[in-house]
Amino acid sequence: MVRTRGLVVLTMATLVAFACGSSSGPAGSKGTIKIGSDLPVCTVGGQAVQNGIQFAINQKNAAGGVNGYSIQFQGFDDCRQGSYNADAGVENVQKMLGDSKFLGMIGPYNSAVAKAEIPIASPQHFVMISPSNTNPCLTKDLSTCSYHPQDLRAGNANNYWRVVTTDDYQGPAMADYMYKQQSITNVAILDDSTVFGVGIASAFEAEFKKLGGTVAKHSSYKKDQQGSDFKSILLSFKNAGAKAVYVGGTDDQNICIPRAQMKQLGWDVPFGGGDGIETTDCIDQATGNEQGILATSAGADATQVQGAAQTIADFRKAFPGPNDFGGYTMQAYDATNALMAAIGRAINNANGSTPTRDQVRSEMAKTKGFVGVIGTYDFDEKGDTSLKIVSIYVVNGKLSADQVKNSTGVCGSKTAKDACFVWKTQFDFAKASS
Amino acid sequence: MATSVSALTRIRSARLAGMTFTDYGFYVLCGTAIVLLATQAVLDPRTFFQVLDFGIADGAIYALVALGYTMVYGIIELINFAHGDIFTLSAVIGSAILGFFTVSENTFSLTEFVTLLLVFPVVMLMIGGINVTIERVAYRPLRNAPRLAPLITAIGMSFIVEGVMYLWHGSAIIHFPDLLPHGPGFQTYIGGVFFTFKDIFVIVAAVILVSLLAVFINASKLGKAMRATAQDRDAAQLMGIDINRTISATFFIGAVLAAAGGIIYGLYFNNLDYHLGFSVGLIAFTAAVFGGIGNIPGAALGGLLIGLVKAFSDNYVGSRWTHIIVFSILIAVLVFRPTGLLGMRVPEK
Repeated sequence: MVRTRGLVVLTMATLVAFACGSSSGPAGSKGTIKIGSDLPVCTVGGQAVQNGIQFAINQKNAAGGVNGYSIQFQGFDDCRQGSYNADAGVENVQKMLGDSKFLGMIGPYNSAVAKAEIPIASPQHFVMISPSNTNPCLTKDLSTCSYHPQDLRAGNANNYWRVVTTDDYQGPAMADYMYKQQSITNVAILDDSTVFGVGIASAFEAEFKKLGGTVAKHSSYKKDQQGSDFKSILLSFKNAGAKAVYVGGTDDQNICIPRAQMKQLGWDVPFGGGDGIETTDCIDQATGNEQGILATSAGADATQVQGAAQTIADFRKAFPGPNDFGGYTMQAYDATNALMAAIGRAINNANGSTPTRDQVRSEMAKTKGFVGVIGTYDFDEKGDTSLKIVSIYVVNGKLSADQVKNSTGVCGSKTAKDACFVWKTQFDFAKASS
Repeated sequence: MATSVSALTRIRSARLAGMTFTDYGFYVLCGTAIVLLATQAVLDPRTFFQVLDFGIADGAIYALVALGYTMVYGIIELINFAHGDIFTLSAVIGSAILGFFTVSENTFSLTEFVTLLLVFPVVMLMIGGINVTIERVAYRPLRNAPRLAPLITAIGMSFIVEGVMYLWHGSAIIHFPDLLPHGPGFQTYIGGVFFTFKDIFVIVAAVILVSLLAVFINASKLGKAMRATAQDRDAAQLMGIDINRTISATFFIGAVLAAAGGIIYGLYFNNLDYHLGFSVGLIAFTAAVFGGIGNIPGAALGGLLIGLVKAFSDNYVGSRWTHIIVFSILIAVLVFRPTGLLGMRVPEK
């Protein structure tokens, strides 16, 4: 039944599209194609992504649109009570699906929303490109996942892509950084027993051992039982000969308190983790010992990519507000341009008339060597990008007020207001594997 | 069935050289623990004493909370489940009050010292008042009701206090200002063991508070009234003791100790959430039972021992085992010595 209805909508969409195509009058504007977005616009991060999409579309329209069509952008907000909401996201996608002019969307911002939206969009071959989803389970069938990517798509051709890499590269990136660049050969690992924490800690451990390093001890805790006391665990790490601590977990599980308590042992060694500790709460938890905390983030820091400098400068002219530019703005810019390129090719395939959603989807799947500002993207059949960049950030606690204001990483809010995560280096796993 | 029970009783009460088998079991357990720890102390004294330092610091906080459980149980046989949340509430209020002052964290000057001196009594009085109110509203009307009724209102109060903190801060982590001095000058190695001001502060503060409590209970008139009420409420009333006032005072003092524990916890860990009281309360309650519920020195000892067991388990066995070990010890102690380590001095009613 659902499939039949989908077919009907598709036929209607094609008819409408043909109608539009034939009624196109003046040269240069054969009509309008809509691109949507689904983002938590109530948040600073969501709004900054929407700005990136708007900027890319404005640029494209100013340069004559896509093969004679002008692109119209409509942003949808998936916030409910100040935070992203999967149900709101699903409603937004249904609104887009109901309007045949929408040929694709950028988003969502949060992986949990993507998990709910892909099953709605995929029977209609509606292209979704996320600028920021890093949960590997959306595209990869890992043992740590609670659901399977093929179930989300229910037998339909893949309609979901992302321009950032996945969390399963975060652990290996820190292992490489500690072993190769900091020459640490012996570490201890602490995980918070959550799916995310265990997954990232195991990935770190496997890579660190593969490089030839020793894992002195791997301990787990549960917040309900452990509370805030990690001193004895840390002491056992120290006695086991560890020269660094890797933590797999998130700040809401108290994962950064061990950093503060290392001081009570008089133990000063590197302390690293995933993006779950690249947070303000983490800096606050580490009170007095935040300096030098290392964290990874699945994605490139556009401000550190040379090729993006000019585009960022242009963007800042168009969007001058202090919070207009965010960590995923340039990713959104690249995603939008990749989508518009696929729409352009689909228009050619449709002999200049408005393509179907499936034509756009099939062209998006063929994307090879797309040159964006952050790098050159290929996409695999699951929707993942070949650009596997993981950034490493380190807390610097002695920043000036100006540096804090312009920091691309988060800063402390209570104890250490002058401490922020500062970009240190990045790893490109595409290069490492080739 | 009856025969097996009587057989068990016979084995339990059988005596050998003046002691029952359960006594032997208890001493064998204690002996094994002491031998195991002594081996570690000889093999690696630095680690042993370092863990001992951490364990005592943590145990001191549990002891302060356990005292409130045991005092209330001793006087009205109620397990005040809201006590752990009262402890958390004090840390949350303390954090809020410190938020009004412009204290600078990570430095220690006269401002911070004076602020701390002010915060302790203010929060202690507030929390004492709140606990007395809870007793007046939720426990006193049920004093002659079946034992289960006040237990249920206590669980209800626990959820209400948690709910209030949840409304106030949500599930977010609450930062407690880092006011205790640390860094060079406030830390030292003694015989290879690293001591920080924070650890010492917690231990000294707890010792002072517990000593004050002991003096109060044993030497003051109100303390005497409390002991009398705990022993026999009706007789105490006949002797002219105001029972309601005495019970209120017990709740007040229990809360004052929990409040001090809450602020000390905040200063020590700098990190709270609304749910904290659940686990701390449960462990402190365990400590009170461990030491012999109703027995004041027992609660202090129980708290200290639980802190030590946790620290030793975290370091020597592994943190995943800690709760299993803590509660196995509890069960073993209760099987071999149902009245807890120091036993109940209050006669069973």
